[in-house]
Amino acid sequence: MESLFVQLLVIGIKILVILGVVLGLGAYLTLVERKVAAHIQRRPGPMVVGWHGLLQPLADGLKLITKEDIFPRAGNRFLYNLALVLALVPAVLVFAVVPFGPEFEVFGVKVKPILTDVNVGLLLVFALGSMAVYAIALAGWASNSKYALIGSMRKAGIIVSYEVVITFAVMGPVILAGTLSTYEIVQQQINQKLWYIWLQPIAFVVYMFAMLAETGRVPFDIQEAEAELVTGFTVEYGGIKFGLFPLVEWYVEVLSLSAIAVVLFLGGWSPINIPFLGFIDPLFFLGPLSPFVWFILKVALLFLFVLWLHWTLPRYRIDQITETAWKVMLPLTFVNLVLTAVLAPIVWR
Amino acid sequence: MPWAKEEDFLELKKKFKDLQIEVKPTITNLHIPKHELIELLKELKQMGYKLFIDHSVVDFPDRSPRFQAFYILYNVDERKRVVVKTWTDGTLPSIEKLWFAGKWAERECYDMFGIQYEGHENLVRAFMWETYQYHPLRKDFPLEGYANEYLPSLNEVMWGENLQGLMNYDRMHTPVPTLEDLEITEKRRLKKKAQLVLNWGPLHPGTHGTMWFLFDLEGERVVQCDVILGQLHRGMEKLAENEMYNQFLVYTDRMDYISALCSNQAWVVAVERLLGIEDLVPEKAKYMRTMMSELQRINSHLLWLGTYALDIGALTIFLYAFKEREKLMDIIEGITGARLTISYPRVGGVRMDLPEGALEVIKAFVKRFPKELKDWETILSRNRVWLRRNVGVGIIQKEDVYFYGLTGAVARGSGVPYDIRKFEPYDAYPWVEFDVPVGENGDVYDRYLVRLEEMRQSLRIIEQCVSKLEKMPKSAPFFAESPDPKKLKLPLDGIGLKVPEGEIYSSGENPRGELGFYIYSTGGVKPYRVKIRPGSMYNLCVYPKLMKDRVIADAVAVLASLDPVVGEIDR
Repeated sequence: MESLFVQLLVIGIKILVILGVVLGLGAYLTLVERKVAAHIQRRPGPMVVGWHGLLQPLADGLKLITKEDIFPRAGNRFLYNLALVLALVPAVLVFAVVPFGPEFEVFGVKVKPILTDVNVGLLLVFALGSMAVYAIALAGWASNSKYALIGSMRKAGIIVSYEVVITFAVMGPVILAGTLSTYEIVQQQINQKLWYIWLQPIAFVVYMFAMLAETGRVPFDIQEAEAELVTGFTVEYGGIKFGLFPLVEWYVEVLSLSAIAVVLFLGGWSPINIPFLGFIDPLFFLGPLSPFVWFILKVALLFLFVLWLHWTLPRYRIDQITETAWKVMLPLTFVNLVLTAVLAPIVWR
Repeated sequence: MPWAKEEDFLELKKKFKDLQIEVKPTITNLHIPKHELIELLKELKQMGYKLFIDHSVVDFPDRSPRFQAFYILYNVDERKRVVVKTWTDGTLPSIEKLWFAGKWAERECYDMFGIQYEGHENLVRAFMWETYQYHPLRKDFPLEGYANEYLPSLNEVMWGENLQGLMNYDRMHTPVPTLEDLEITEKRRLKKKAQLVLNWGPLHPGTHGTMWFLFDLEGERVVQCDVILGQLHRGMEKLAENEMYNQFLVYTDRMDYISALCSNQAWVVAVERLLGIEDLVPEKAKYMRTMMSELQRINSHLLWLGTYALDIGALTIFLYAFKEREKLMDIIEGITGARLTISYPRVGGVRMDLPEGALEVIKAFVKRFPKELKDWETILSRNRVWLRRNVGVGIIQKEDVYFYGLTGAVARGSGVPYDIRKFEPYDAYPWVEFDVPVGENGDVYDRYLVRLEEMRQSLRIIEQCVSKLEKMPKSAPFFAESPDPKKLKLPLDGIGLKVPEGEIYSSGENPRGELGFYIYSTGGVKPYRVKIRPGSMYNLCVYPKLMKDRVIADAVAVLASLDPVVGEIDR
């Protein structure tokens, strides 16, 4: 009885921590993005609200929440609101299977810093990822606007193409690790003393491409394409409802997919890796906190990389994006799969 | 002034008995009766006068037949210009088979003068809405319009507020289009053939102004496309007839509001040529005008580059370009006192001398700017995404340049070295060295490269102007002095400037193509008729053709590469 209570308590705390961190961080990443963009563009960015604009996300949130809730006259109100829920929930749920660090013990209770270590974690990630397409398709349809519809169709086209690619891309690490559980994949990398990026560079690049495409980041941000479609499928949303879509797409999804990339390719919470020899930890002085810091550091690096691309590159056209997916990325992942199958025994030993 | 000579048309004289050739120093006219017009135009097109410049009519309400139509053509190979004129009482044969650009010009004439064109495929109004009853450019249409619509203020309707005193204006207004009117206009333009008609504009970030595009879409593919213009129509030509020559100068600012100085210069040079005082303008003023309009050209191209990159998704370039643009604006503000609507040149020179230190600032800018330009090219020119979005998109063939009357960077991008600065040099352009960049394939990417290179060439011109101006003494005059003040009054403010009888077509090389002014003067302080040849409008007329069977994503790229400004299109 007591152990059940403790377990429930632990899970409750985990949920609260993850939700708080993800949504809070998501909001604050807007500030990070604005600052990064500003410095790339040689301007200071938000400076007025708080020190160096530190309170800007709060001000933005307040503004969005207090705005009038506008609804298109001939739209479908139920689907219109459902799209919001469908966008937010799966994106956040992905964090249920993201392992933030190794198992540790507090007050005699063993805690894995992962909400549910299901043995099909990766499957769950991509299943939830595909849910995003429903949100966008519904948002476009329920808005009863041509711009929104075109935007959502574009996005649906991209997701359909890149779902296939991303699934084949992660096959490599899965074969090497021999498991679908995210926690176990990291453990395997530590046991094998190998970050899978060393053996899977192709898969990693393909994964990054697919990640940009799925989250609608430049050069794949055609569903927004402010010059052509104004803001695509969110064009009829207003106030905080409008704010939620970019929050989910650009921050929460980028974060979750970056975290999965770190888990799959960059050895999760493990420090710097020398292939097959071991790990070097320059952050050893942090003691038990070091793995968590490593994890956050890697995710942050990937996120900054995405931002860097976003504020530098122009965008592709829809046919070019899908063409890249089917004609370049997919064959590449097949090649990678064959290579992995050949190389896998070296890693398994 | 490279007008065609009489001996060029001796052959034609044999074929057309009624052809009259009139050669004046400011213009060469071919007068022809209406029934032979199309034949003559065809003949001229074969002779090499294949670039369509402009067409419109002049209204003489007291005469019969009432309208004098003119067609301005250009021979690019021999660099000759000619005007074909004919009289009509309200109908004209359509030239849409000869020049597509003529189709748009005819729409405009139909809109403004009520001329009926026989054989025109879809004669709809160019600027006004379809149910508008009047033809505003006719001489009997009053400048203030017909106030026959009751339009009280919103406050009055909703709360019954009675307006007092000065606020108590007249409730009768000139008609404005209702939603039904706009719907009729839209239906007349485009018969739906495919899945859905996307209204792209009038207010849309991708249209660079208030243009209203209609895309008939099959999925994302554009099956057919049309443009509804006129959201920014202010009746410039009507205003010009009712303003003095110098007063109209400020309206040229508001036409192509991004390159005001170039428009000013084109207008001023046109009036000077009409007066025959081009040689009287002091050298210093000419160099100053040239330098300023080249600065403005860079300024304008920067705005184009920024918005173009923004349309294709590279937001950062937009801010880089605007940062440099801000510096240029500051320079221009320091010299002229204005940033956007400048009105710096005057008929006979410029408004005021260069302030102290202006040349140093410009020199510093010229020194630093190529580095910036190189940075942007590093980001864009060889970028794979950029190449895939630009290369092979929106190809304009060389023949289409003539057929659609394209000028400016659009024509040069397709390999036609048509540059007024070289072909009909004005101000200091004959004395400075610069090259005219031309493209090879005529796609969006070539136009992009041409414009980038033009910025470099502008820098070269500015450098030469600066070094010339530095050598000139500070006391050198910047305004022309009239040789005989009794005969020709030439004041700085332009009041009392009388222009003798005559007509002229004169044009300047704007960043957006050839900006021409056809001025018909019957003597006096105001012109009788001014036809503005908007480079942007004729550049835009190729757009529906380019957009056929392309996707919406290309719409922004192609449109931005044509670089239209609505202020100039609608006037």
